[in-house]
Amino acid sequence: MDQAIVVEQLVKRYGDFPAVDGITFAVPHGTIFGLLGRNGAGKTTTLECCIGLGKPTSGSVRVLGLDPTRARDLARMRPRIGVQLQATSLPEKANVREVLVLYAAYYGIAPRAAEMAERVGLGDKLDRQIAQMSGGEQQRLALALALQHDPDVLFLDEPTAGMDAFGRRILWNEVERLRDAGKSIVLTTHYIEEAERLSDRICVIQRGKIVAEAPPAELVARYGGDATVSIVADGFAPGESLDGLGTWTLAGAKWTLATRGEPGLALAAIVTHANEIGATITSLDMHRPTLEDAFIAITGETIGEAE
Amino acid sequence: MTLLRMFAIQTKMNFVWYFRRDGEMMFWTLAMPVFFLVLFSFAFSTGPNSGSATFLVPGIIGAQVLSSGFWGVGVMLATFREKHLLRRVYLTPMPPWVFFGSLVVYRMVLLAAQAVILVAAGALLFHVRITGNPLEIFAILLLGTATFISLGTIIGALARTTESANNIASILTVPLAFLSDAYVPIDRFPHAVSSALRMLPSTQFIDTFRDVSTHGAPLAHYGAWIGALVLWTIAGTVISARTFRWV
Ligand SMILES: Nc1ncnc2c1ncn2[C@@H]1O[C@H](COP(=O)(O)OP(=O)(O)OP(=O)(O)O)[C@@H](O)[C@H]1O
Ligand SMILES: [Mg+2]
Repeated sequence: MDQAIVVEQLVKRYGDFPAVDGITFAVPHGTIFGLLGRNGAGKTTTLECCIGLGKPTSGSVRVLGLDPTRARDLARMRPRIGVQLQATSLPEKANVREVLVLYAAYYGIAPRAAEMAERVGLGDKLDRQIAQMSGGEQQRLALALALQHDPDVLFLDEPTAGMDAFGRRILWNEVERLRDAGKSIVLTTHYIEEAERLSDRICVIQRGKIVAEAPPAELVARYGGDATVSIVADGFAPGESLDGLGTWTLAGAKWTLATRGEPGLALAAIVTHANEIGATITSLDMHRPTLEDAFIAITGETIGEAE
Repeated sequence: MTLLRMFAIQTKMNFVWYFRRDGEMMFWTLAMPVFFLVLFSFAFSTGPNSGSATFLVPGIIGAQVLSSGFWGVGVMLATFREKHLLRRVYLTPMPPWVFFGSLVVYRMVLLAAQAVILVAAGALLFHVRITGNPLEIFAILLLGTATFISLGTIIGALARTTESANNIASILTVPLAFLSDAYVPIDRFPHAVSSALRMLPSTQFIDTFRDVSTHGAPLAHYGAWIGALVLWTIAGTVISARTFRWV
């Protein structure tokens, strides 16, 4: 079996409201799959259906070939998956060491409290109680709990929400290390940078539907639009030599070229032309399409923007 | 082996997290029952050393069994769900019986401690004497605890929020403590009323417990009530198991 996770025509309704509305995707073994979408897009709901926390209204989910809606399959699935939930909490009076020891017992493995705490940057906080930990520290502990039993498949729901740059770096490194060790990982995020850096494939979800799915570079190439080069220069006008590069537009004093070609080459040609005609360059700007451009084009909105 | 270790660690953590590190909980569990005993024996009696303390010691222990099931387990489970603790453990391979079993052991040990403290306080302050067979006393205490924990779990299973679980538990515990022969003898009510109240599992448990412990009555005399308590326990367990939600 070559797919770690297969989701087919997944629908999850709350009352009449379709939180997830016919989602289909597959995650090959040893890859990172990023679910990207705005608040309320249906990322958490999709994830919960994968791990047995939510019962799909219709459609099917298979994780390692197991069906999370069947009790016996779910029981076989549990030791093999690791989960970091978006909405989770641990007993307030518990400390880091105790939680790691208890969870090790749940999985029937030898506790590795000190090692795991070290791995997520909580090495000096083993005796810290949950109630006294910051949000980011709790997230790190949640990650340690997801990893301790060395699962084959990881589900991470906004794992870096509330984490500082250092915590984010730890998580990114862990996730990449795990993928290289052959684990399959599904992760949801709001951070385009995170999705782009980590995901082998990105799935953009909007209002419960998949609106695009491809490797990040392909999404950018397909939806990111043209690269642009903008120039403000006294006496500048695009001459014949620049016509073949793409489409020119003028806004105020600023000429902008939209090009499908390599923007670096276009930039060089534009500078040469400006020098030839003696135009004094005031400002010069190049922009390659990014995943964010692709995301805006795909969803017709920026992340976090109100409808 | 794995399961035993899991059970042992979970049980230990229940004590550490929910009791030892919770000062308020320790106070309510260990000191309040004695305070009730002193308060009620003066409030309800005509003078010290009357029979009222002998009535109250098993009565207060019985009321603690009720609140242990309704609050200690029922409301606690609803709180656990609301705080998203349940969904987290549901994702692990821990079998549900470990989770519930360890809660039952935790509650039973606390109840045993409360019973010992109350009996000691009753003996020291009011010369209350426990004359029953210790094994039989322990057996009926165990059965009552099982009954009310299984019924309390229904509250935890059905209540949508901590608040509603709280309300259900208050509505049940407080009146039941007064209507089940715990704090005041129900024989003070008209005969029809007191016979009706003796159909309640809480009354049957508390009366049996009192008669066995302070009157030294043999447990075997209460076969019908014991059977009823067993049935309540089974019903509570079945309903809880069918309706319990982890999410
Ligand atoms: N229990 C519920 N009852 C009713 N509606 C719900 C429930 N859970 C989620 N929803 C709705 O379903 C939609 C999808 O929610 P979901 O939590 O999956 O979004 P998400 O993509 O994870 O968002 P976020 O980025 O904010 O975490 C939202 O509109 C939400 O309001
Ligand atoms: Mg979410």
